[in-house]
Amino acid sequence: MHERSLVKNLLHQVQQIAAAEGNGAVEEICVQAGTLSGIEPFLFQTAFEDMASPILGAPCRLILEVVPLTALCNDCDHQFEVIDFKFRCPVCQADSVHVVEGDEVKLMSITVNSEEPLDGVTS
Amino acid sequence: MTRRTIIVKRDVQAKGKANAAAERERLGRRGTLVINILSSPGAGKTTLLEATARHFAGRRTMAVLVGDLETDRDAQRLAPLVPTVQLTTGGACHLELPLVQQGLTALGDPAVDFLFIENVGNLVCPASHDLAEHLRVVLVSTTEGDDKPGKYPKMFRTSQAMVITKTDLLPYLPFSVDAVTEDARQIQPQLDVLSLSALHESGVSDWCEYLEQQYQRQLAAYHEPAAK
Ligand SMILES: Nc1nc2c(ncn2[C@@H]2O[C@H](COP(=O)(O)OP(=O)(O)OP(=O)(O)O)[C@@H](O)[C@H]2O)c(=O)[nH]1
Ligand SMILES: [Mg+2]
Ligand SMILES: [Zn+2]
Repeated sequence: MHERSLVKNLLHQVQQIAAAEGNGAVEEICVQAGTLSGIEPFLFQTAFEDMASPILGAPCRLILEVVPLTALCNDCDHQFEVIDFKFRCPVCQADSVHVVEGDEVKLMSITVNSEEPLDGVTS
Repeated sequence: MTRRTIIVKRDVQAKGKANAAAERERLGRRGTLVINILSSPGAGKTTLLEATARHFAGRRTMAVLVGDLETDRDAQRLAPLVPTVQLTTGGACHLELPLVQQGLTALGDPAVDFLFIENVGNLVCPASHDLAEHLRVVLVSTTEGDDKPGKYPKMFRTSQAMVITKTDLLPYLPFSVDAVTEDARQIQPQLDVLSLSALHESGVSDWCEYLEQQYQRQLAAYHEPAAK
């Protein structure tokens, strides 16, 4: 169960980005993960709910999108969804393929709400 | 109030992966082959490393970093044979690069030919953590059953070699070497497959020969004339 260490890593990156953007409250975080990302979505979500408040100082919503595992054939360039972890090109049967999406946990975006108007902006 | 969405699109582990790549390059360039050994608990990692140390004694230099949640029992077994440092994760289910680097420093960062990292017994979490290894080897023991690769796809997809251990028990178990090999190669068609019994030291010299080949290959790769 290494989801906690990944969530902690994620939250520290979010904190840094938010600080660089003027320290507003982080309201929402969007994350993409595929079936080869090495996380279990439910455990990731639970770890996030546990750890977001203590690290960010306020509750925050996690949108976790599970993306399909996609590979590209090194022989014929065919791109396909890997089903049941069978890494073989369905077109030319080559077994030399590489993953193009679905083997990472990706921080896609964060939504920040600043109480004060941005520098130079008056409302 | 100003609400803004900042687009990031970044691998959460990007920094860790970059650090691992840099460390891999450093160790490879100076002639150390790093081998990350993974398996479920008790598949025979430490026993294989003991046999490997006996085989390479006087021929190749090696050191071991061994990870466990608690205790230094594995280090006590290996230390009489080779320089060994126990990495205790204090409950964490896998090793991460900073702890490995601490261990390497504790060893005195020796320029050995082979640096083995015995990971925490677990087929899930260690798969997601790059420890700067050049070679990732997953062990499957005959007592675990031949259906394991499909259940832990990331581990097998990210490994270069699978070693089937405890083959001395094959006569007593419904375990098929062909079946486990086929299952694993659905996931990783390029997987190298070896089988051995570390307890009876059968197949150990083939394993060491395999390591020697990998070592020579790496040496050649770093000494190509055009290498920058
Ligand atoms: N029959 C048989 N038993 C073995 C063999 N290799 C290891 N064992 C036994 O399996 C048990 C576990 O071996 P270890 O080498 O401690 O396994 P490990 O993977 O290092 O275990 P952890 O570090 O705790 O995950 C021990 O009782 C070993 O004696 C083998 O080739 N044949
Ligand atoms: Mg052990
Ligand atoms: Zn193809």
